[in-house]
Amino acid sequence: MGDLLREPLTWGHALIFAAAAILLMGIVLGFVTYAIYFERKVIGWMQLRVGPNRVGPFGLLQTVADVLKLLLKEDTIPRKADRVLFVLAPVLAFVPAFAVLAVIPYTQSLYFADLNVGVLYYVALSGISTLAIVLGGWASNNKYALLGGMRSAAQMISYEVPLVISIVGTVMLSGSMNLRTIVEAQSGGWFWNWHFLPQFIGFGVFMIAAVSELNRTPFDLPEAESELVAGYHVEYSGFRFAFFMLTEYVYVYAIAALTTVLFLGGWHAPAPFLAVVPGLIWFILKFACIVFFLFWLRATFPRVRVDQLMGFGWKVLLPLAIVNVFVTAGYIELFIKH
Amino acid sequence: MFTGDLSGELIAFFILAAFTITGAVLMLTLTKVVHMVLSLAAVFIGLAGMYVVLEAEFVAFVQVLIYAGAVSILMVFGIMMTKHQEDQGRPAGRMPEVLGLLAAVSLLGILFYAIRSTAFPAAAQVEQAEDNTLEIGKLLFTQHVIPFELVSVLLTVAFIGAIMLARKETDE
Repeated sequence: MGDLLREPLTWGHALIFAAAAILLMGIVLGFVTYAIYFERKVIGWMQLRVGPNRVGPFGLLQTVADVLKLLLKEDTIPRKADRVLFVLAPVLAFVPAFAVLAVIPYTQSLYFADLNVGVLYYVALSGISTLAIVLGGWASNNKYALLGGMRSAAQMISYEVPLVISIVGTVMLSGSMNLRTIVEAQSGGWFWNWHFLPQFIGFGVFMIAAVSELNRTPFDLPEAESELVAGYHVEYSGFRFAFFMLTEYVYVYAIAALTTVLFLGGWHAPAPFLAVVPGLIWFILKFACIVFFLFWLRATFPRVRVDQLMGFGWKVLLPLAIVNVFVTAGYIELFIKH
Repeated sequence: MFTGDLSGELIAFFILAAFTITGAVLMLTLTKVVHMVLSLAAVFIGLAGMYVVLEAEFVAFVQVLIYAGAVSILMVFGIMMTKHQEDQGRPAGRMPEVLGLLAAVSLLGILFYAIRSTAFPAAAQVEQAEDNTLEIGKLLFTQHVIPFELVSVLLTVAFIGAIMLARKETDE
């Protein structure tokens, strides 16, 4: 992919890029389908249930059936809703979710864009989805939807700040915001070269803030079923609702991949003698662990109270993230530079 | 003036310019606050695209990062602090409109005259850095460190000031 990106753009190359993007889309859709299936299975097992097991062998076609049902549903738009924005919001939510995947490097040679501000690109675009959620909540002209949208704006913006600052330590250690360079800075053969050990504060803050950005339990206040019916997407049905759900799961994919790249050494093997296994396999393994971790959290944690949420973000996570930046700077100054 | 051939850069520039100007005009003509804020977001995204065309990726994505968040907040405050049930009546009278037109046209005239009459020095041949974000960082912490620190002090002062103002209100 790398050599192709540096050559002048011809029609043939454009065709290859388009094909690659469509292939990625297919992979992401496949991931989303089976992530939902595994989420239900894993949570089922953790709660001593069986989980979906009726549609297809072991219930493997459950999500397919669910999506089919969603697509066949009547597409309703409330009469008093703001039609244009109501239609625009799901699109505006999904486009950045898919666009952020462009900067994720999967292996040494398999990546889509070699951007020198990859980290910033990711966090900047994911901020646009917040806007879409507020918009969707407002355009529905429903008080629960509006409350969900408001909560979402407050929560996602508060947690975006520690998220960005927790990445700064990693960026400082690697000396670059390019995600490929960050992975290369974690080479060295052993797993203790990966950033999650030297950056353990950053890693902790990043994981908590990331779960919050994903609007997943324990931070799923924007769509808290018991208080807000369903939050910002109460009024959405059928295809547009599917788009909001799709956005959420694409962000799960994106955050899991980003965590792998930033803190878990990307495609590097955990020990030198394991390096015979191809990098892509390691990437997928680490990626799967993080996705599982997110499901595990959902099955075992209660929801955070809304008044504690903001306090936790601003008074605990933000100072921790800033301390992490200072400690990292001191470490680099004392031990690495000399 | 437009002697250059139609490169991809030029096409991108015109598309982004049209996008930005459309956003700006919509911002002024729409009446609902949420619509206005959304057109504002379109302006910022168009400008960010412009920065990408100019190969200033860092500025572009910081622009999106800061303003996308700011626009969401602005929207929340817009929803909370305005009445959007009834249509706000338009300000009456022709006079402000005429004055506004006059001011806008004269500003355009001044800017156009200034730009046309300035002889731009041939752009100093700056070596196109491999990683321009890295170069920005280096310059910020060596050559321009004092303005940089001053700005951070200014921001801290503004921050503390905002907290003081907010506290005073809750105490009463």
